[in-house]
Amino acid sequence: MTGMERVPMGPPWSVDLIADLHAGVLPPEVAAQLRPRVEADPDAREILQALDATLEDLHALPSIPMPDHVAARIDAALAAEARPAAPVVSLDEARKRRNRRLGLGGAGVLVAAAAAFGIVLAVSPGGQGPSNEAKPAPTTSSQNATPPLALKSDQLGSAVGDVLKAQNFGPLETPDRLAGCLKGGGITSSGNPLGISPITLDGKDAVMAILPAGLGQYRLVVLDPKTCGPDKPEGVLANTTIGAK
Amino acid sequence: MISLAKVRAVTAAASSDADLISAHAAGDPYAFSELVKRHRDRMWAVALRTLRDPEEAADALQEAFISAFRAASSFRAESQVTTWLHRIVVNACLDRMRRRQTRPTVPLPEAGPGEPVAPRDAMSDRETSLMVQAALMELPEEQRAPIVLVDVEGYSVAETAQLLGIAEGTVKSRCARGRAKLAKVLGHLRNRIADANVPADGVNVQEQRQWEGR
Repeated sequence: MTGMERVPMGPPWSVDLIADLHAGVLPPEVAAQLRPRVEADPDAREILQALDATLEDLHALPSIPMPDHVAARIDAALAAEARPAAPVVSLDEARKRRNRRLGLGGAGVLVAAAAAFGIVLAVSPGGQGPSNEAKPAPTTSSQNATPPLALKSDQLGSAVGDVLKAQNFGPLETPDRLAGCLKGGGITSSGNPLGISPITLDGKDAVMAILPAGLGQYRLVVLDPKTCGPDKPEGVLANTTIGAK
Repeated sequence: MISLAKVRAVTAAASSDADLISAHAAGDPYAFSELVKRHRDRMWAVALRTLRDPEEAADALQEAFISAFRAASSFRAESQVTTWLHRIVVNACLDRMRRRQTRPTVPLPEAGPGEPVAPRDAMSDRETSLMVQAALMELPEEQRAPIVLVDVEGYSVAETAQLLGIAEGTVKSRCARGRAKLAKVLGHLRNRIADANVPADGVNVQEQRQWEGR
């Protein structure tokens, strides 16, 4: 304290100055001298009351419940985190090496999620047999700076972390189109997907959607945007459920 | 199934947040989810009110909870679990705010009558809440974050200063500025007073700087 602070002259005083007094911004000795003068002035007193009323309004703001789809999305992301690491270390290492080779290095979440889900997924590819050889993702893309996630049909879980963060319908474009494609596969889902993103599955352009599937469970669906539709079950390339059983 | 149900029941019955953190560190797979369940609405409100955009708020919370999940085993009970969780959430929100600096906040008009939307008496509680919420969303981010923490969430000035990484005096003066704007927009200040007492921009800047940081 310098003891040199000037007590602002008034009335009138600015609303901001009175708000400073109200919020305890002013040095104590200035506030001590100013407060009785402010309280003696009807206009200034009214400003103090207005600030009090504002505080009451703010205190009274109700809590905002987290929407179900956000809660489900966060639960799914935490479930992915909570999965124990794959016991077969060499497999994990092999995947890391392969991912690096495919240009997916640096996607820590993806690798971690691969370790987490790779061993628990029972994938039921719709229609076609899975190819055992992953092909590199197309490296040229005129639409996006980053190529879509490149996945193999036996490692869908590796994309969970990234797909959950996305709401990119890609070539499906709209929720209606997605709903139509899901219907084709006999999958009913209300509301928006928890996450959706274009991917490549075994080198083929596709779209992965993650949907809520009951208590603590999530459905991973991979769709072929070129063929899927309400009456075309063949457009569902993969459909599997993950999460607590 | 029975054993899983039992584990869940034990987890849910854990008496405190700190117990849940310990259980999580000890490998209980449900402890952290339970902790999130307890606090998610409050954290959602903070994220939404700070960031305004629901998608961004959801992204920030997901990031925050995942990083809390990873860091929880090294949590030391020097602070309350809620404060610790809040700090992680607020930091995730602030990171996002910094990243989107190019998208400016629409400021409230500094001058002008600040006409309230409707006479206060005629409004229901719900309408009032919506109006307060809307007015809060219009504040500049630097004022909104401290007001959300101090005036809505009930944190002390000292805790808020710590959470936001700014001086206590700065928290107070940003709250003061924000409250003055809200008082006008919410119709608590009669226009005559607001007009007469609101100086041109900058008049108080020197005083404010002089007193900030105390």
